[in-house]
Amino acid sequence: MLQLKAVVAGYGGGSVLQGVDLECAERTITCVVGPNGAGKSTVLRVISGLLAPTQGEIRLDGEPIGGRAPDEILRRGIAQVPQSHALFPAMSVQENVLMGGYLIRKDRRLLRERLDQVEQRLPIVADRARDHAGNLSGGQRRMVEIARCLMLDPRLILLDEPSLGLDPRGLAGVAEVIHELNQAGTTVLLVEQNVRLGLGIATHGVVMEGGRVRLTGTAAAVRDNPEIASLYLGGSPTKAGDSPWTNASRPPSHTGGPGSPPTA
Amino acid sequence: MAHLVQAIALGLLIGGVYALMASGLTLIFGVMQIINVAQGAFLVLVAMVTWWLWNRTGIDPIVASLVTTPMMFGLGWLTFRLLISRIRGSSPSMSVLLTFGLALVIEGVLNLTAGNKFKSATPAYFEESFRVASISFPKAQVFGFVAAVGVLGVLYYVLNRTWTGRAIRAATQNPAGAALVGVSAAGTAALAFAIGSATAGVGGSILSVLYPFFPASHYEWISRLLGIVVLGGLGSLPGAVAGAVILGLAETLTATYGSLGWSTLVFYLVIMAVLLVRPQGLFGARLREDAA
Repeated sequence: MLQLKAVVAGYGGGSVLQGVDLECAERTITCVVGPNGAGKSTVLRVISGLLAPTQGEIRLDGEPIGGRAPDEILRRGIAQVPQSHALFPAMSVQENVLMGGYLIRKDRRLLRERLDQVEQRLPIVADRARDHAGNLSGGQRRMVEIARCLMLDPRLILLDEPSLGLDPRGLAGVAEVIHELNQAGTTVLLVEQNVRLGLGIATHGVVMEGGRVRLTGTAAAVRDNPEIASLYLGGSPTKAGDSPWTNASRPPSHTGGPGSPPTA
Repeated sequence: MAHLVQAIALGLLIGGVYALMASGLTLIFGVMQIINVAQGAFLVLVAMVTWWLWNRTGIDPIVASLVTTPMMFGLGWLTFRLLISRIRGSSPSMSVLLTFGLALVIEGVLNLTAGNKFKSATPAYFEESFRVASISFPKAQVFGFVAAVGVLGVLYYVLNRTWTGRAIRAATQNPAGAALVGVSAAGTAALAFAIGSATAGVGGSILSVLYPFFPASHYEWISRLLGIVVLGGLGSLPGAVAGAVILGLAETLTATYGSLGWSTLVFYLVIMAVLLVRPQGLFGARLREDAA
């Protein structure tokens, strides 16, 4: 469904992404993990059009979409929920969610239908409809952000650190929504610092380091990889030679997507 | 007591007109963090065009805003596309330099074409007043106020009840969030600049009746308008209305109980006092860092 090949991108001077290869198959949940500064969020920004790649290819169903404007990417069915809160704080919750349907604003019936669907899936939209978005808690805002991106009924949702700043209850809610969306046929690509949570709900895992993809595989394989366990999950150290990083030294074109056999 | 009521009535009438004049400045700042120092020159340009139309054709100056408003919408759009868009992303100080340059160009052109003399449109009702009990409401002020409030009402409706307005507000509150829902940053900014300039279309026509003006009057106007929007909170429309009403009342109350010469000074003292307590202005937003 989505393919990134040797994507290079950055802000101003240096390149944050230094040749990223990544694939997302239809109806999967892919979780990108990695240390701070690995370029995880930047991957989402180049896909959603907020940042143009300087080199490489981004394809959706085989068609190049790299460097297109955010509204065009949205029209193609890719919606992003960014890391920093992206709501309009002085607008009501309902207005915020309606703004998610900005591109279908001329079709009032469709807009109404979508709003009804979103309200059914995420009750907070109806319960807090008149409240200012700026007055919601972190978890509630996250839900409204997800609700807003659902207004265009996207095929692929990009979620940047959905767990950021959430309490356990908020976390569980977000995880449940991601799972439900995926069950309903939506493909999800998420970036997560909380490796345990991210790989727990994902079907596939991607490990990034230094602007490159170091390892891909099923979520279980990535999670169970001894070095990942030691680095992120407090597991036991691995023997030299078992390092997943050695897998990454192979040519980028072999870097498997979620559909490829686990390499971990 | 009658003096007080009279001063308040006049202050509110003038405040309404100031609010319209300042609304464009605050709208443009709110959406694109650009301080349009040329807004004062836009007002004087429109006043000059209005005066010329009134002088040549006899058309009522306030009715002439039906011509000057679309004219300023177009001029604003062109200004954005040709000039402002080139400095997008630069610091706000760049916009001050650029629009100040634009103001000087407008002043120079007006000096060359219209001459450096005070002008004022004086329609038949210029010296007439409506009287309610012992309070007199000068007709020119009343008509100007009605036009200003009408335009502010339309602006409020557009901003709050239309998709165009929602897009502008969204871009004001969170530009990155607006881009993510498909709002074009450049398109919204051009539209906001054009709408902000169009408010000078009505404001300038009203100005031509209420105040004598000449090409360099724009310095006085921009300092007044900046005072209003800073007092109200840069980028806030309700703030601009509040700041404008305070300026109107400060002027008329000082003129009634003190002297006309002190009226502007009192307004700036009010600004200083308010900013000491609320540095973000009366309605300026100080959001939680994680709110947007």
